[in-house]
Amino acid sequence: MNAATPMPAFRPLRDPDVGIGWRHPHYGALLEQRPALDFIEVHSENFFAPGGAALAVLREGRALYPVSLHGVGLSLGSACGVDAWHLDQLARLVEVIDPVRVSDHASFARGALDTNPGSGLVHGADLLPIPFTREALDVLCANVQQVQERLRRPIAVENLSAYLRWRDADLTEPEFLTELTRRTGCQLLVDVNNIFVNALNERLWGGSTDPLDACRAWLDAIPADRVAEIHLAGHIHCGDIVIDDHGSRVCPEVWSLYRHAIGRFGAVPTLIEWDTDVPPLAVLLDEAARARSAAQRAPHTPVAPTGPLATGAAPDRPWQNHTAAPSMELAP
Amino acid sequence: MITLALQQQTLLGALLLGPGSLAARDAQAQLEGLVLSPSARGLAAYRANGHALAERALAAAYPVVAAMVGPDCLNALARTLWHGHPSQHGDIARWGGELPALLALEAQLAEFPYLADVARVEWALHRAAGAPDANADPPSFALLTQQDPGAVTLRLAPGTAVIRSAWPVASLVNAHLRGEPTLSEAADRLRDREAEQALVWRRALRAEVRPCEAGEAALVDALLNRQGLVPALDAALAADPGFDFSAWLAQAVGDGLVLGACPHDHHATAIHP
Repeated sequence: MNAATPMPAFRPLRDPDVGIGWRHPHYGALLEQRPALDFIEVHSENFFAPGGAALAVLREGRALYPVSLHGVGLSLGSACGVDAWHLDQLARLVEVIDPVRVSDHASFARGALDTNPGSGLVHGADLLPIPFTREALDVLCANVQQVQERLRRPIAVENLSAYLRWRDADLTEPEFLTELTRRTGCQLLVDVNNIFVNALNERLWGGSTDPLDACRAWLDAIPADRVAEIHLAGHIHCGDIVIDDHGSRVCPEVWSLYRHAIGRFGAVPTLIEWDTDVPPLAVLLDEAARARSAAQRAPHTPVAPTGPLATGAAPDRPWQNHTAAPSMELAP
Repeated sequence: MITLALQQQTLLGALLLGPGSLAARDAQAQLEGLVLSPSARGLAAYRANGHALAERALAAAYPVVAAMVGPDCLNALARTLWHGHPSQHGDIARWGGELPALLALEAQLAEFPYLADVARVEWALHRAAGAPDANADPPSFALLTQQDPGAVTLRLAPGTAVIRSAWPVASLVNAHLRGEPTLSEAADRLRDREAEQALVWRRALRAEVRPCEAGEAALVDALLNRQGLVPALDAALAADPGFDFSAWLAQAVGDGLVLGACPHDHHATAIHP
């Protein structure tokens, strides 16, 4: 770059931050190799223990990379509300780790098993679907607001891959998520693989819409300036159902949808997830490189870089000399 | 339209109530009317996911029991526990504490009566691994000579616990996890029905277990019950009149079992005023 070339005021639209899910098999390798990643993501609940080796290793990771704390157990859609113990642990972890983003799912897991007033609540330890009804939206909004008030920051809420569809529905899923973000100010975490898995299962259940067309329509219906993170992962066809197992490389159709998403949402931070049969770290890094490459080939759709996208980040990489996570909401 | 709470209760019931039970079948039949697509395949996917999670969680918390009973038996235990004692929190690492009780009741495992105690030791190790961090404070030991002994107590390492057993549980666990003693030596102690009191604690970031004698067990139990040093020492001497506190303390500090001394708050004592 010669002296006459001005530095870009914004990071190029199609050069998103790219990270990987940091799982146990790679704790040592990542700390040792320190690969060029913009952030790492962990499942918050794996670090709820108040002390010990797990938290110590996360602190080491945090000293090298911004961390995205992704929850799988907050049960934001539960009619019985959010577990105060769970929220306490998350708040403590947020305080310790100072994450670049905090997220969980538009799902439920917690509830009663029977109607006996004395019976306790259980946690199904899964991401179970909630109906896209006004009642469920009210519950989800109240729970998200409670979490945001406690954490004193917006969270991002992720769309599910769901293996059941509730009969009751007042809204489509994009309408439901749009209402959620409008009412609570939360951000959205768009899992492109989940949308595709749902579309494939819809076809298995007799739907006639082309899965890719359905997914593009889904992405086009989401408010672009509220998307804080994109997730990419693999899935498995079992013949009579498609399972979002995070156990393989991202498939060509999901890469195609990812390019569509980046073209529409801009350079949204992107995560490669791999949770089943976790391969060597090099495979995840290769997927991350593919994400960068795919984003650069995204169709250009002018999207104003407003809200969480307006990072104004310089092109240097934060892992090089990093002590504090760069905020997603720097002043423009 | 039924309420969201009822929809969620129905799905949780279909997934978590005992497979094949009348209540589970009722929940699944009710769910059929609440979902668009047939629920069986989706439910099977969620059930399989829950079972796989339970199996992984149990194998992670109980590696020695897993090695002793084999993967098929452990997975069956995990599924039984999953439905009999569902998780109450969203942190799966907290689930599985009822395994020792399940092992004690499992008729098919009656010929392995030590398994439940091995599981108790492993659960204590699992809890110790994530217990709140605490640093050693060597200068604080000056309190032992500067203060009235009745006004002092000892700070123990994170996760400290004593498990009493009629079986050589510490030897069995260490033989599997550390290779010391050897499996053959542990098997000899098992055959000889050597009773052990297992002392669990966390040294820095590593949860440890070793057998301990009656005096040490009584002392540590008393300290865990927030007693002051004097009544704790009384308890140790009652259990073992030859208990050598000075030798024990030197060893315990070196092992990271005792982190320091601190003033004793008499009001915090449950047993001694």
